[in-house]
Amino acid sequence: MPPRDRSIWQQALWQLPAIILMAGLVGICVNHLRPDSIPVVGDWSVKTGMAAATEDNLIIPLSEAAKLFSARAAVFIDARDEQDYESGHIRGALSLPWYNAGKRFPEIAGDIPSGTTIITYCDGKACHLSHDLAVFLRDKGFENVRDLLNGWTVWQDANLPVEEENAVSP
Amino acid sequence: MEQKSGCYNKYAKRHPRNIYTGILYHAARWILGIVFIYASFHKILYPAAFAEAVYRYQILPDWLINLTALVLPWLELFLGIFLIIGLWMPGAVAISTLLFIIFMGALSYNMARGLDISCGCFSTSATEGATDIRTVSRDGMLLAVSLYLFFATFRSVPRKGCDLNR
Repeated sequence: MPPRDRSIWQQALWQLPAIILMAGLVGICVNHLRPDSIPVVGDWSVKTGMAAATEDNLIIPLSEAAKLFSARAAVFIDARDEQDYESGHIRGALSLPWYNAGKRFPEIAGDIPSGTTIITYCDGKACHLSHDLAVFLRDKGFENVRDLLNGWTVWQDANLPVEEENAVSP
Repeated sequence: MEQKSGCYNKYAKRHPRNIYTGILYHAARWILGIVFIYASFHKILYPAAFAEAVYRYQILPDWLINLTALVLPWLELFLGIFLIIGLWMPGAVAISTLLFIIFMGALSYNMARGLDISCGCFSTSATEGATDIRTVSRDGMLLAVSLYLFFATFRSVPRKGCDLNR
């Protein structure tokens, strides 16, 4: 039997850090050049603190949300990313993706009349974005912020008005 | 000893010993390569959303979250390309196997502590559905392919007549 190639471990030993280094350099350089770059070391402590803060009375039942919607007494804010928002959202909802909330907030702040109820939502029972966004907005000084759990799904299931990419539902 | 011409191709000598294991080996390379490239795509396009997904795992310290979100997608892309073209195979399969073990650990850890988060594996969407046993078994299958490739690569024998110590 021919001898095993011992040098293969040596090759792995230099290739392993080399590949990681290449990926690191390209990743950081590309991030530096793109317009929507993120800081290499982000400050997540604020979010951690906010997400940990337990808020009473944050969750709003669908029936109540629907009532506020038909009375035009609430502003809906979509916490999902832009793609999800564009492919369909609650009619009249504003888009404020949670991951970019700090940066994008000033853009939509003017569209929220003071004193209005704000209802945040995302999609899926596992989605925490709307909760975190609600806490974020409370932190920004809005007192009446509620979270519609699994909002996009329950809203559609109840056949409530939505706006979709190519059509507007009745 | 007289060297065969194939010996000068550093990577040719890594090929397994017969046609059946050869097919298996190349299939494994392509499967993992395509999976890695596919997985990297969304994360490279939306780094902020992927950072959010990493944050949701609540495993890494804050200062490492963005760095991971910036580097990991590119690492996946490079690994995918390297696996498909067969370049730097020992390093690529070692990282690939390590990554799948780390993913497995992170997924099972969060499942065990009941953290209801989306996987962020192939899409950065926080709405793709919670991590469940299917996510973990998918990772397990990919880990098995990667382990096979690891052993196939590291236990490969030199081609007849090739002196690898040259």
